[in-house]
Amino acid sequence: MFSNDSTSFLKIIDANKGIIYKVANSYCRDEENRKDLIQEIILQLWLSFPKYDPSFKLSTWIYRIALNVSISFYRKESRRGRISQPFPEEIIYLTAEKLPLEQNEDIEMLQKFIRELKEIDRAVILLYLEGNSQQEIADILGITVSNVSTKVSRIKQTLKQKFAAINR
Amino acid sequence: MEENQLLALWESYDRKLSQNLVLNRQNAEDITKFKVKSLLSSMQPIKIFAILVGIVWVGFLDVIVINVWAYASPMFLISIGFHIVLTKLSIGVYIYQLVLINLVDINEPILSTQEKIAKLKSSTIWITRLLFLQLPAWTVFYWTKDLFQNLHAFQISIMVGVALGMAYLGIWLFKNIRFENRDKKWFRFLLGGIEWDPMMKAADLLEQIEKAKNEG
Repeated sequence: MFSNDSTSFLKIIDANKGIIYKVANSYCRDEENRKDLIQEIILQLWLSFPKYDPSFKLSTWIYRIALNVSISFYRKESRRGRISQPFPEEIIYLTAEKLPLEQNEDIEMLQKFIRELKEIDRAVILLYLEGNSQQEIADILGITVSNVSTKVSRIKQTLKQKFAAINR
Repeated sequence: MEENQLLALWESYDRKLSQNLVLNRQNAEDITKFKVKSLLSSMQPIKIFAILVGIVWVGFLDVIVINVWAYASPMFLISIGFHIVLTKLSIGVYIYQLVLINLVDINEPILSTQEKIAKLKSSTIWITRLLFLQLPAWTVFYWTKDLFQNLHAFQISIMVGVALGMAYLGIWLFKNIRFENRDKKWFRFLLGGIEWDPMMKAADLLEQIEKAKNEG
């Protein structure tokens, strides 16, 4: 069990900033919206921190909150003056370095195709690509393992077709 | 692109992030100092306020009905009765929303949480439908026997025409303000806008959840 203080919370956020960024990036392409979304995810993680159940993996808890916030995130709602002075900079941000151009283009394409999926499908493929087992995906989403398996196969097929279409 | 290529691509993306992703600790720490409630909890006060105002309003109307029952015109009693029943139903929707707000826990699995949030958002459509259904009541509540005796046939036909038109419109809108019609022009003209977009998204999400439950 973690002590309920901001130091341990910040350590957890720092160690898992990749999860938060990747989820936010999959649901928000626009930089300004993504900044708000990341802020909202971290805020909700902090508010839920005292309720963290250690019987679940830490990453399961973070995925659940990050995905729940991202799926129901609507910018106009989030900007309702709860935080009177939004931060001028991003809380989690990427420095300028890039991958080799060709690989970067493929990643951009993959992200584009993921963003074109429906919200629930997006969560499924994101969790799959992140290397979660089917049982873990089922726990995070609240569906059966066989349901996960069917979905993953279908979405992989969709992505494959999309890549095939652009490579023709 | 094959499965292993997809995974390899994602892995390289992950590597790139782990090398270049930075946490602004100061801003993150500031978040832990905010005195704010969760997004849904912050919706509670306005719902409670609406319920209280609604209860006071229907209570006031109930007292009026009891006091004028013996001598009020039948149309007035029918109209006000109709308005009272629909307002009570709207209060019921607000209470349902309050219950949902209390049931939502973002620590829970995605599908069950999103289903509650989507039901919460989409239930607002019921308030709008009930509001439109009241239209005819506002056009007939002042009708009395004396009024009809003193009016010209032409004036009466206009009044009755307006009332019938409003009744038709009210019932038509009540029946047709449904998410299935969200892409129709009249729907977007009448209800399009910032407040409706989250509701439309919620309806779409409910369809996805239903589909997700049945797949596999």
